[in-house]
Amino acid sequence: MRLFTWWLRRALSGAGTLVGVSILIFIAVRAMPGGFAETILGPFATEEQRAELAERYGLDQSVLVQYWNWFTAALSGDFGTSMVSQQPVGAELASRFPVTAQLTVMAILAAAFIGVPLGVLAAVRAGGPGAGGRGAVVGRLAGGLGVSLPEFVLGSIVVYLFSRYALGLSVGGYVPLGDDPVGNLRAMLLPAAVLSVFAISATARTTRDAVLNVLVEPYVTAAVARGETPWAVIRQHILRNAAPPVLVLLTTVSAYLLGGAIIVEYLFNLPGVGSYVVHAVGRRDYAVVQAGVLLAAALFIVLNVVVDLVVGLIDPRLGVTTAGRRT
Amino acid sequence: MNQLTPAEPVVVARDLVVDYLAAHGPVRALDGVDLAVDAGETVGVVGESGSGKSTLGAALGRLLPSRAERRHGSMHVAGHSVFDLAPQPLRQLRRDQLGFVFQDPIGALDPTMRVGAQVRRALRGRQPSPRRSTRDAVAALLDQVRLRDPARVARAYPHQLSGGMAQRVALAMAMAVQPRVLVADEPTAALDSQVRDEVLDTILALTRAAGTTVLWLSHDLNAVARRCARVVVMYGGRVVEDGPAHAVLARPAHPYTHALASSAPSHARPGERLTPIPGRPPLLAGPAPGCAFAERCRFVVDRCATERPPLARVNGQAVLCHRAEELRSTAALPLPARPTDIPAEIGGGR
Repeated sequence: MRLFTWWLRRALSGAGTLVGVSILIFIAVRAMPGGFAETILGPFATEEQRAELAERYGLDQSVLVQYWNWFTAALSGDFGTSMVSQQPVGAELASRFPVTAQLTVMAILAAAFIGVPLGVLAAVRAGGPGAGGRGAVVGRLAGGLGVSLPEFVLGSIVVYLFSRYALGLSVGGYVPLGDDPVGNLRAMLLPAAVLSVFAISATARTTRDAVLNVLVEPYVTAAVARGETPWAVIRQHILRNAAPPVLVLLTTVSAYLLGGAIIVEYLFNLPGVGSYVVHAVGRRDYAVVQAGVLLAAALFIVLNVVVDLVVGLIDPRLGVTTAGRRT
Repeated sequence: MNQLTPAEPVVVARDLVVDYLAAHGPVRALDGVDLAVDAGETVGVVGESGSGKSTLGAALGRLLPSRAERRHGSMHVAGHSVFDLAPQPLRQLRRDQLGFVFQDPIGALDPTMRVGAQVRRALRGRQPSPRRSTRDAVAALLDQVRLRDPARVARAYPHQLSGGMAQRVALAMAMAVQPRVLVADEPTAALDSQVRDEVLDTILALTRAAGTTVLWLSHDLNAVARRCARVVVMYGGRVVEDGPAHAVLARPAHPYTHALASSAPSHARPGERLTPIPGRPPLLAGPAPGCAFAERCRFVVDRCATERPPLARVNGQAVLCHRAEELRSTAALPLPARPTDIPAEIGGGR
């Protein structure tokens, strides 16, 4: 029962957030200087031409009516057609989404499988002999650099290096995963690596802090006192208890990665959602921008729900059914 | 594993010196501890916070925090020199010979794991028969520590247990291996007073049945003296008095023990004033030049501040005090008439 009301609450608040986001983005794209007609027809078009175009796409109606039309259509799964390409937005997004998803998933996996072990290592070393040594300083510098280096800087460097010199991987040449897995991975490796630098650094840092907090817990001492091996203590007790903050961070990072993917897709010429939406913003292709932003918001909401559930499974004190109950 | 002759003590600390490295320099936690405990003994280690008793307990399993450093001396448990063991034999010693019960019962259990799973981990590799009996073994262990409804406790998470239940679970895990030595560091400090006695009874009954040596670390001299045959009093990182419980409590030989006994609330009759010990425990940066208690002692003489007191034997006790003999002969340490609360069979001692 508690679980049911929790689901209901989360679903309602998620839906409310989506409606709010859609309203905001609807207003925002229309508030941008230079409308669709100006962008398409250029500065020398006549008033009649502009009016005609606006009428064709319903842009002459009031924003309220436009939103209502869009909203009712969106409820039935129709996100409109691109005013530039005349293609349905839903289908276009669906075909491009796998690229962005793959990019983000690869970066998140790198964060989990590289960042988490690095963080654990840093925490365990910080408590042991040689703490504050050269290794720790180098690690902290690298971490700080990784968090603060923007994708467009790192990405440009990588693109330049790999285009200028034969380093085994080439830039561009995307093929879908289903058609040619090896070729796909060869094309995706570099952009995913660029995207993952921030995720790895942030994850390593959060993991380190979380593990340091767990290391001082009495149950860790108790496990050591029972003669458990360091590896067993890490796996059975430390990782489980340090996981919640890391998982929450990974959710936030994945939202950030969706943003970073825009730049990386642009740089590496990948047919993903990010580059699609950026082009659409430039051309004032309203329907595309709306749907793209809505998709990102929906993903983020779903991810948050999933993480809340997983965190509750790991630590029953934080469980969704015990939320707000103090014991 | 165990090459002991029965006569050899199971725990031997020799001149053990341990420092904690703090930002402003080292703090001496143990300042030359000498202690030998025979197999099967139940020893109460009494001292204020800061006396070094927890450090001593942790040293038994080499469980000192990383900022602690052993400067000198040795610790032998079951014939093994704890500080000289390689990681693997050290783990084996902890697993097979040592049990620990800590102060915070719920904190000592992993909050993300069901109690049954944690007890099973403590049992792992120790069950001769496979699978079938694991759950029974867990239930039997929980039953042994007198938990009602073991099956329900096994399914629970630690935060769903009361402090007393959690401490029984911790005890069950510590005793799962029938260790030779159990270190109980203030095991009842976090519990309600009515649960305390039950938990202590359980600890002592279980360890007696298993023949386990018990080191019970506590700040409560009277509680310890009631239940242990032998009492060890620590002050300033040293063992200042060591002897049979009834003797230590009835005729304390060290001025500190005397002060401790007179300041205990259970000692006073209603309406009577308690005598607090003036001053505060020392914070040593290195070896104490003389007796660590000198500053607070009513019987202090010049050499107390400059000369470390040698071991003296007074009555049945071993005492670190320059004037121990003198104080005994002049009966300078009388105690107020006290309720007779030492059962004869324990008081009769070893």
